[in-house]
Amino acid sequence: MSGAVTRTGLVDAARMQLRVIGALVIREMHTRFGRQRLGYLWLFAEPLLLGGVIALLHGASGGEGIRSSFEFFSIGFMLFQLLRGIVSRAPNTINANQTLLYHRQVTLPDLFFARHAIELAASAGVMALFVVAGIAMGGAAPDQPVKMILALVLMLLLAQGIAFMVGSITSEFEAAGYFVQIATFGIMPICGLMFMVEWLPPDWQEVALWMPTVHLFELMRDGQFGEQFRTFYDLSYIGWWIIGPHLLGLAGLRIARARVGLE
Amino acid sequence: MGLQLIDVHKSYPMRDGRKRVLRGIDATFRRGERVGILGRNGSGKSTLVRILGGIEVPTRGTIRRSMSVSWPIGMAAGFHGALSGADNTRFIARIYDRPVRETVDFVESFAELGDYLRMPVNTYSAGMRSRLGLAISLAIDFDCFLVDEALAVGDTRFGRAFGARLARAGLIIVTHQPSLVRQLCTRAAVLADGTLTFFDDIDEALATYNSL
Repeated sequence: MSGAVTRTGLVDAARMQLRVIGALVIREMHTRFGRQRLGYLWLFAEPLLLGGVIALLHGASGGEGIRSSFEFFSIGFMLFQLLRGIVSRAPNTINANQTLLYHRQVTLPDLFFARHAIELAASAGVMALFVVAGIAMGGAAPDQPVKMILALVLMLLLAQGIAFMVGSITSEFEAAGYFVQIATFGIMPICGLMFMVEWLPPDWQEVALWMPTVHLFELMRDGQFGEQFRTFYDLSYIGWWIIGPHLLGLAGLRIARARVGLE
Repeated sequence: MGLQLIDVHKSYPMRDGRKRVLRGIDATFRRGERVGILGRNGSGKSTLVRILGGIEVPTRGTIRRSMSVSWPIGMAAGFHGALSGADNTRFIARIYDRPVRETVDFVESFAELGDYLRMPVNTYSAGMRSRLGLAISLAIDFDCFLVDEALAVGDTRFGRAFGARLARAGLIIVTHQPSLVRQLCTRAAVLADGTLTFFDDIDEALATYNSL
């Protein structure tokens, strides 16, 4: 009997949280892109332009084969864009939505979940577009799309834990936000977007694999190119990088919630 | 049952130690009851309102909530200035699980905003903003309305309609104005020195408050 009650309580709570996140997504889309229906397309425009330009630049810079191909950089950039989009928006997430906390069903993590859902839709949508474009330009279809999707999901979770931490730190120390903006672009050369571990000298391979994002790029390229490369990744290593920041970040948000002033 | 506070404490960190604002509040608000809470400036009224509304968590103590309590009416309802009144209404309807279209229709007929309902809230006067917030809160139809300070609705058509609706609702009003409590409430309490004292007789509460 009491078990049934508890279960209903949990289901209700989950339904309410989904409702809040859904409402926040709609609100965020309206505030970011205006009220015209086509405004939503801007969500895809930014990653599409950035990814396209970077892929074309690398394609034009010479080199041969997949190493400088459109698919390598355009699709890779979307995995990077997911991380960058989520983490670089984390610093002002609490500030921009503070007054919503007057409605007690809105929690700090909800504010982040809503933004992350939007970033995932943008990156995954444009990535799918680039996959189709790559095939249309005569490239091969992805070897195992499931691995690419898994890489996206894991990148979402990795970025989310970091965003929770960044959000709680910047709610106390606002200046830390500037550092985050620089860091999200600063890690571009070392995050795994630009290289494959196989191409590095053996000593550097080991160093590169300390970086959790490198594993995710390897996983995605395993799905994208199959046997053409030897790939290196360890899902349990990624797991720790997801769990650790989530625990620290959620604890930080709890502290931040008690300190966020509403006046 | 309704809303129950058991030994609720709230303190804030200050430069020199902690400031203890609430020091052991015990209170029970039953569904449909109309309670006035009187407090002087700086007695912790805003803190108490935020705790009652579930916006802030107590440092210590328990809160049991078995009726729907509104957000503190009179405080900003979290409107986004760049969005229209209608969009803000839709957002609040969604998070409170109310039918979106009917909520907007109600606000349209009640708030007397005319075409402004489709304009950004940034363009509203303070009065329009307040009417929007009040109309939305009525549309949500809470068991208990939590009211912070005076309701500046005045003797307009809107003000009378709002007053009439509020006269039938459960109410917790936290204020420094005795007249409002006498006019709207059936029970009263005085907030002083971080504790809350209830009086069954309103006159007794007002006398205690006036002697503070």
